[in-house]
This record gives sequence, C-alpha cells and structure tokens, in this order.
Amino acid sequence: MRSEVVYNLWDGVQVRREKFGLLFYDYRGPRLHFLPSRDLLAPEFFQGRRTAAELVEAIRSRKGLPQETASRLVTDILGMLREKGLIYEQSIC
Amino acid sequence: MSNQYVDMGLSAPVNVTWEVTYECNLSCIHCLSDSGKKRPGELTTGQCRRVIDQMSANHVFQFSIGGGEPFVRRDFLDLMDYAHEKGILTCISTNGTLIDDDVATRLDHKLVYIQVSLEAASAAANDAIRGPGSFARAVKALECLKKRGVEVSINTVLTKYSFPELDALQGLADSLGAKFRVSRFRPSGRGKLAWSQLNVSKEQLLSFSDWLSDHRGVSTGDSFFSVSHEDRRGLGLNMCGACKLTCCVSPQGYVYPCAFLQEPEFKAGILPDDSLSSIWSESPVFESFRRLEIKSCETCMRFDFCHGGCPAIAYHTQKRLGVPDPGCLANCVQVKTPSLGAA
Repeated sequence: MRSEVVYNLWDGVQVRREKFGLLFYDYRGPRLHFLPSRDLLAPEFFQGRRTAAELVEAIRSRKGLPQETASRLVTDILGMLREKGLIYEQSIC
Repeated sequence: MSNQYVDMGLSAPVNVTWEVTYECNLSCIHCLSDSGKKRPGELTTGQCRRVIDQMSANHVFQFSIGGGEPFVRRDFLDLMDYAHEKGILTCISTNGTLIDDDVATRLDHKLVYIQVSLEAASAAANDAIRGPGSFARAVKALECLKKRGVEVSINTVLTKYSFPELDALQGLADSLGAKFRVSRFRPSGRGKLAWSQLNVSKEQLLSFSDWLSDHRGVSTGDSFFSVSHEDRRGLGLNMCGACKLTCCVSPQGYVYPCAFLQEPEFKAGILPDDSLSSIWSESPVFESFRRLEIKSCETCMRFDFCHGGCPAIAYHTQKRLGVPDPGCLANCVQVKTPSLGAA
C-alpha cells in the first residue's frame, strides 16, 4: 500500500453502508460485492479525499490497534477491492 | 450471491422494479400487468420525482423500469434524466415501438440499459403474440439504439411458442449487436388467462436448463435459478430476492414484494406519501415475506440452488405461499425419469 495515494470508485461502481460493512454495486457486472468490514471503512473514503495513511491512522486510534495490524487490514481490503476492479488508486503527489 | 449478508437485512432495496404506467400501445396476450389503458391514480410527474428522490436518499442503485409501455408517458425521458442526475441506473423494458433516432439520442447515457421485448425471431411468430407490426418496429428500435451506442438486449419470455425460437433469437441478437435475455413466464396479469396455453412443459423446461448451460452469455434476470445447473451458479441469485434485495412500485405508487405479486394482500405501502425506508424495514408484509420458508424443499439436494424457487408462481398456481415452485429442476427430472424420484 502506498500511503501517498487516494482511492476512487471506478466509473459504474457505487457503494453504500450496510450492517455488515459495505455493499458495492458494479453496473458492469457481476453486480453485487459484499465487504464485511463492519465500521472500518465509510463509503466516503472512496471519494478520493483521504489517503490510505490517514485511514490507517484513523482505524489505529479508533480501534486501539497496533500500527502494523491496522496497516495490514487496510492493505488487504484495498488490495481486494482493486483486484475486483471496484476501485483505483490515484497519486496525490 | 452471499445470502449470509442478505439475510442480515439490507438497509434498502438494491434494485426497484418500477412500472411507470399501465398504458400500452400493444396488447400482448401474456402481459404480466394486464396493461392497456392508463388507469386512474397513476403517479404524476411531481410524484414520480418524489419517488426518485426517495430512492436516491436510500441509495437504491438501480431501477428496472417497466409498465405498460414506459415511453407512452410524455414525461418519461425527463424522469429518466432526473434518475440519472441522482446516479441511479435505469434498466428499461420496452416494446421498442416508440423508439426512433431522436429518442435513442436522448437515451445515450452511461446509466441506461434497454431491453426490447421479442417473442420470436420472425415477424409472423412474434406478431402472433405481441401484435401486428411489433416485430419490425422492435428491430428498428434496436438498430437505432445500437447506432447511438446504447447497451441493449432482446428480452424473451420463455413460453411454448418462444422455446423453439431460442437459437434463432440468439442469432438475431448477435446480428444486432445485442445481448440476449430470457425471462420466466408468470401467471400474473393476463398471464393468468394464458398460463395453460403458453407455459412450457416440464420436458421443455428441462431442455431449456441444458440450453442455458450451453449459452452462458444469456442472462436470465434471476428468473431461472430454479432450473439452473451448477455451471451457472455465480451468474446470479440462488433465491428469490423479493423484500430482500428488491421490491416493486406500481404505476399508482403501491409497493409490493415483486412485479408478479401485485395483489391486495401484498400491498406494503404507497409512494411517495409513505417513506420507502419505513416500508422496507417495518412493513408487516415485507417482514412476513422475508420469513417465508419452503419447508418441504429443505431436504431437496437442490435447495442451495433455489431455496424453493419463485414464490409468485407457487402463489398463483397453488393460491398460497410457503409451497414449492412447481417449475423446479428436481420436479422436472422426476417427471421425465420417475425412477429417480422413487430412488
């Protein structure tokens, strides 16, 4: 995970909050993707305004997790979403 | 499909079927909503916009628009523009007869998907079901839409008459650059009267199940999970999505579990006066529908594939819920090879 990047939804992808975490909808199909992330991530994160590093820090302080654990969590989640073609990263440098 | 998360209860529908009018310029003998003339109490433009506002506020991702024929509404394109401004995908089912170059130009939007209905790949066979001239006008619409780059599919309802046409329809779709989608025939609307005449036999349903496996590019709009083989698993739902992922809004704003259960006993509320959020989370009709269990299916080896099938077909054919869909694959196999059922 590169800390100086932000993340956006690909065109045709939408996301909303659910009890289990986030529900992604991909118009290009297959349509539904369930991310059981509970309250770790908010849909607004994918508006490209906060960096991954900021997200790690927020999770670390909110959940009282070690930096390494929080970082691994965020890396895994964002990596999986990128692999599914739901999000892309954008450098802010 | 992750039933585990769906069973936890979603905050809102993912997709809402919205029949925007009863008015239609055709009179297909199997019409699910018995469409024809506009009826009293159909939502005004202002009310429709408030419906769209509610969908947007609840983060509904998609409208499946039907009717009647949606394009007979003079405000229809404006309403679709409004839905697109809100980021809602619109999948529009139409007979295609009112789509020309100008309309196709208006529909050239990344959030539009059009399904044009055909029952056969020739004018003679199609028009016997859908009315004189309907085939030529539907094909013309598909050509106009493709010229503009609009995503299109041919949508066919599986009946005794369309079953032998499937390969030809697939060929027609390929030649027009369209996808091909097959929907299940349900005994609702005028379909109730045409059910015995048009519904496929169990032998045809069994053959269709094999045909689907050989045509993985054909979509079924989650109509045929009850007869799909293992190899189509993952291409769609494995259960009825009514009240869990989807619901239906009638032309007068009444909210029902699905388009095929628009009966007084399934009325859950009315939009835009009621709140979609309240209907979705608190309506006794929806709560009861979510608890529906088809007990007699639970020991079936195919239960994980279909969870009892389509409740609407079970309801219309047996006049109650909680009973198996009669058109399931296990049932068809038993009919064809009785020894398997006895084993």
